[in-house]
Amino acid sequence: MADFLANYSIQKWLESCPQGYLEDTVFGHGPDEREPDDLLKNESYREQQIRTTVQLIAGERCALAASSGLVNAAPDQASKTFLATQTLDEGRHVEIFTQRLYDLGIKPDDLESTIKTYINPHLGKFAEVLLEKVDKKDFVAGVVGQNIVLEGMAFSVFEMLHTGALETNPKFAHTLSGTIADERRHVGFGENRIGELIRRYPERKADVQRMQRDMTKHMLATFHEAFSRSPAVADTVAPSGRKSNATYQGLKLAEASNEEMESALSATVLGEFKTRLGRIGLEYQSPV
Amino acid sequence: MSDESNPHEFGEADFRSTVHSFEFWFEAVEGYLHGRPYGVSAATKEAELTERQRQALITTLCNYCVGETAALDASSGMIGFAPDRHAKIFLATQVVDEGRHLEVLLHRMAQLGVAAPEAEIEKRANRSLLKFKDRLLEFVDARDWEASIFAQNVILECLEFTVFRHHAGTADPVTAEMLRGIVSDERRHMGFGENDLGRRLIAAPHTHDRLYKIKRELDTLVLDTFSEALGELGVPHAERPDLEGDYLAAVARLGFRS
Repeated sequence: MADFLANYSIQKWLESCPQGYLEDTVFGHGPDEREPDDLLKNESYREQQIRTTVQLIAGERCALAASSGLVNAAPDQASKTFLATQTLDEGRHVEIFTQRLYDLGIKPDDLESTIKTYINPHLGKFAEVLLEKVDKKDFVAGVVGQNIVLEGMAFSVFEMLHTGALETNPKFAHTLSGTIADERRHVGFGENRIGELIRRYPERKADVQRMQRDMTKHMLATFHEAFSRSPAVADTVAPSGRKSNATYQGLKLAEASNEEMESALSATVLGEFKTRLGRIGLEYQSPV
Repeated sequence: MSDESNPHEFGEADFRSTVHSFEFWFEAVEGYLHGRPYGVSAATKEAELTERQRQALITTLCNYCVGETAALDASSGMIGFAPDRHAKIFLATQVVDEGRHLEVLLHRMAQLGVAAPEAEIEKRANRSLLKFKDRLLEFVDARDWEASIFAQNVILECLEFTVFRHHAGTADPVTAEMLRGIVSDERRHMGFGENDLGRRLIAAPHTHDRLYKIKRELDTLVLDTFSEALGELGVPHAERPDLEGDYLAAVARLGFRS
């Protein structure tokens, strides 16, 4: 365990993240990168982007609350210091996505009301299931919920958004690429650390799997609501005039229907869950 | 955002959104952490320590670890009930600072030949400091923002600032450089505590009385910590630095006089 945790030290994090892929960025993107003009001038597309960004902020606020809450529950110093880096990663994500809302024209005084207007209610329930475990200082369930389920979902959503933004919104794509790199590290920690704890405490399996099932149910409801509220063109595609050639899981994003998008994202995330849960000795539980 | 480059020239809203941010934190730490793995540059050479000096340093580092673990547990726990987003993000930067402090201290202990730091810390930890840690975490568990920020970002940070600054002046070169990096972080944390509580005290002056009561209680533990620590290290009374005076002066500079 000690060797693996050495790879998640603050020194390593400093060298690879702030002094690595975030070097010379401002709020996660290049100093000269801006939101595209056609996005800012197209009211329905801008609103769609605001809605998407609000969900990202809500997810990251949950991750910040969970990772900071787990520091105190961590059973060893190395896990505490890793979770300290994760806490700041999540704080940074809250900051950069909040900044994106400002870049999309939201005034700081209207931040909370905007979040309240656009937040997906199922995402709130998803967060509640996780934070209940964190409040009880349940380290094993908390890390599975945070670093496998929440991070696994975020990782796939970010990848899909990144694919869609790559050609049409380099600023947003750049912002997402840093968060994807962070999430990859968080998921890696979850798999390595919790695998060992699940082997040591097999009696925890049933409770943790139940939590995973509940979180999955709310996640799928979140996806369903998000895609059913979206206009016909998927969220990752620019307004007319600039056709994207981006493909995600074999789907051409500019041509895919919302049902196809929802189905592709759900299948990807669930596939990731099954793989990652299997690696730590848990069996994926399908929501009833 | 103001065009001024000095944050102290900003209005309150700009000050908070600038200073309490990942960007500001990274620019601040980059200056003194870049090229210094575990807080120490490669050019800094180890001095030879006698066995007595080595043991004394290990005891001191064990107690620093207690303080930093308290700060890590407290600052992370406070994010859950911080009053706003700026405070949450500042605390997230503080969490990683405290985690880094713990990591560099443990790394230094490993360099000094300590194989099982957890056991060593348990064996050598100062009783008054452990009581302080328990009291701080009680405030955090009770989700009492004013008491927590006061106990952590004023009292504990002033304690650490005082001790680390003194120690950096007399320590071996590796330990001294490591401590100077920590002291730079502590200044930022104290600034946050002073700023947050300053605004609260203007808005609710009656808070003063409550914080003074807490200060009296915690001062006793801090002063006992100094006395016990110097006693355990065998420093004769005549040669002891005036840690108490310096600590009380540091707290007074933040607006909390005895």
